[in-house]
Amino acid sequence: MVANANKKSKEKVKPRGREMAWEREIRTDFRVREGQDGLIKGHVEGLVEARKRKRLRQDTEPFQRGIIRHVALVLDLSEAMLEKDMRPNRYLVTLKYTQEYIREFFEQNPISQMLILAMYDGICIKISDLSGNPSTHISALIALRNPRNPREVAKEPKGSPSLQNALEHARASLHHTPSHGTREVIIILGALLSLDPGDIFKTISACVADHLRVAIIGMAGRLRICQEICAKTNANDPSSYTVALDQTHFRELLLATTTPPVIRKPTAAAQAANPASLLLMGFPSRVIEDSPTLCACHGQLTRGGYTCSRCMAKVCSLPSTCPSCHLTLILSTHLARSYHHLFPLRNWVEVSWQRALKKGSVQCTGCLTAFPPVPADMRDSKGKGKVTNGNHESNGVNGAVRQEKVEGASESSRYECETCGEHFCIDCDLFCHEVVHNCPGCQSSVPEGDVVQGQNGAAGDGNRMDVD
Amino acid sequence: MNAIDATDRTFRSPDAPPPSLLTIILDTNPHAWAHLEPTLPLQKAIANLLVFINAHLAFNHSNEVAVLASHSQKIQWLYPTPKPPSHNLTRPASPRPNGASNGTHSAHDDANKYRPFRIVEQQILANLSALLASTTSSDLSSTTTTLISGALTTALTYIAKAALAHAPPTDPSASLNVADPSPTFMDANDGTTSRARTTLTSRILVLSVSGDLAAQYIPVMNAIFAAQRQRIPIDILKIAGDTVFLQQACDATGGVYMEAQEPAGLLQYLMMSFLPDATARDFLVLPSGGAVDFRAACFCHEKIVELGWVCSVCLSIFCGPPEHNQCLTCGNQLSMASTLPKPPALIQRKKKKKKRAAGDGASAGVTPSGTPGPA
Ligand SMILES: [Zn+2]
Ligand SMILES: [Zn+2]
Ligand SMILES: [Zn+2]
Ligand SMILES: [Zn+2]
Ligand SMILES: [Zn+2]
Ligand SMILES: [Zn+2]
Repeated sequence: MVANANKKSKEKVKPRGREMAWEREIRTDFRVREGQDGLIKGHVEGLVEARKRKRLRQDTEPFQRGIIRHVALVLDLSEAMLEKDMRPNRYLVTLKYTQEYIREFFEQNPISQMLILAMYDGICIKISDLSGNPSTHISALIALRNPRNPREVAKEPKGSPSLQNALEHARASLHHTPSHGTREVIIILGALLSLDPGDIFKTISACVADHLRVAIIGMAGRLRICQEICAKTNANDPSSYTVALDQTHFRELLLATTTPPVIRKPTAAAQAANPASLLLMGFPSRVIEDSPTLCACHGQLTRGGYTCSRCMAKVCSLPSTCPSCHLTLILSTHLARSYHHLFPLRNWVEVSWQRALKKGSVQCTGCLTAFPPVPADMRDSKGKGKVTNGNHESNGVNGAVRQEKVEGASESSRYECETCGEHFCIDCDLFCHEVVHNCPGCQSSVPEGDVVQGQNGAAGDGNRMDVD
Repeated sequence: MNAIDATDRTFRSPDAPPPSLLTIILDTNPHAWAHLEPTLPLQKAIANLLVFINAHLAFNHSNEVAVLASHSQKIQWLYPTPKPPSHNLTRPASPRPNGASNGTHSAHDDANKYRPFRIVEQQILANLSALLASTTSSDLSSTTTTLISGALTTALTYIAKAALAHAPPTDPSASLNVADPSPTFMDANDGTTSRARTTLTSRILVLSVSGDLAAQYIPVMNAIFAAQRQRIPIDILKIAGDTVFLQQACDATGGVYMEAQEPAGLLQYLMMSFLPDATARDFLVLPSGGAVDFRAACFCHEKIVELGWVCSVCLSIFCGPPEHNQCLTCGNQLSMASTLPKPPALIQRKKKKKKRAAGDGASAGVTPSGTPGPA
């Protein structure tokens, strides 16, 4: 009873960020109840599994994602960043997390580009230029506090931020980027004000016209104008405006923006204005040379590098553009990082005791961990749907427990891939959907009636991806 | 002398080398092994492999091994032995057999053999002969390649689970974050994260005999990327065949790639190049780093290409512009504007300085101001 009431009210306030930490209900997850067998272990495990699965079930829709991204990261360098609610202060925390963020961003989006701006003393200054090289951005960030030129002073937060100046600067910087990529602005805002020189609404309209998408991560409270900016530039969806509750939440929010954004269903007009294009790319091979030769990118003598697939010019590193014929040169492993957005692995389903019994699975196909055996009472009362009827001593509570478990976690601790019918444990479920994006079962057998061509790469996981 | 002999032999002192899990993927493609018969029969290869496994197990008391056969029709665990599906599930299954705690012994126990060696050897031989016996001639005729993507994926899930089991139990949320970049980023600056987080070092060794894996391009790439993120090196010993993508796997994950010129010397290759684990490799010069073939496979014909057309929305690779300029994967209409040949970039010749122009004479017509003229 109590549990149900709690659950309902929790669902109601689901959208994160709307509620404050102190408004949330007192968490009651630690109520421990006995399982059927009189042990609490089963129930606790069920809760843990349900929590794991909850994270998992978010990202398996085959969305189209903007994989070639152009991002302007805007930092706040206003007085508000000297607040000490984050340790040691907001400014240092932001600098630290931004460096992590840049590494992760280019890990996830290897063929994307980024530039860093800062709102400082009422104006917007450029910290680093648009480039796809993480180390230039990171060294520019480090140089903020430890300038390379000893005569310069370290930059400390000063004055007020100006959202309008930041948006205009970002818009101008991203204006020339090719139309097949996304144009995104990610603003980290510590202040609760914006000191603008003119009408910010005109700027917002200009951003919308330029297909800019703005995401704002606040540090203090929600601002009406931020909500407005995010909604207008994201087709009336304000969900890209988030406010961090604390330091760890801030980091989470920041890292969440490394996932490529979902492309909205393009209207005919938008598609005409912003067509997808076919890009010619080279997959060069690495060469090792006995004697050093000049590289085309820096003009330095190097032993080995990558030769352009079209003109045989030698470049030092990938991804890059061939300095001589302008061909985009990348590693195929760079493209491969985004294939799982394209061919998502379908969610696996929970397995009931009946199904487990029918299938007779004793261990996980992926890792050979033994599954818990089917309880004796289940085997007798086949066909009957109720598990909880077996034990009458503490029926009420147990019934609730079982029901609750089934919602997220599987009662038999097995998860089934519906394509190949193999059973997996929760850890493999998580690992396969979040890391490998392959199903070990599907990849390990040639489908019936399918011969040589049948197992073509995409067929294992990708047959079902009909992104229309 | 006494000091040497009095070494502390207690099990795993705090700074002992971490246990190492070696997952071996044996490509058992029957076609390829038939070709290899004159130089390296499968029996000899298995015998050599067993010596190598024993050497790995002997290195450290807590080292573990797992062996997978990547066959033409399916993949099969050789060690540890999977349990067959049973419809009598009341009996609790025995724990994982990897800790040499398996109680089953065959009749011919050899008392002179170190027990972990014997258990591994028996299971591998039994499972392999079962696998070969179950291969029908129709299986043989239907395909000539091997399911390397499935083997890699299964090896990765097995390693992930083993790493979870070895992870320090202090942090229950560690298991929640297999994919989450956050824990790795907490102290990414010192670059020691993955080692600190799991005490198990794992690696994958592929004994590859088949070529032509272009059909499994996407799953193999997914597996490579996953291994890269988990920092699991993939070592390849190529005995035969042409494996473009496996070479990329080595390069991306920091593994060792070797081409066996003399297949008969398999044991030598294994012992000299693939025995050191990740900890030891930090101190060794590895036989790697030559030229690497980074070509990709096109999605339309599974052809290996060096120059490909890529859809900007879904990044599918095509060997030529698709029909009607429509992406075969995502169906978007694609514009060809950016693929039109561009004029080669030339270094702009610097304009001659005005000083010089003035000196050329009055024919330029422009009177440069501020230049001291002869008048
Ligand atoms: Zn260079
Ligand atoms: Zn070129
Ligand atoms: Zn598992
Ligand atoms: Zn499957
Ligand atoms: Zn093709
Ligand atoms: Zn496409």
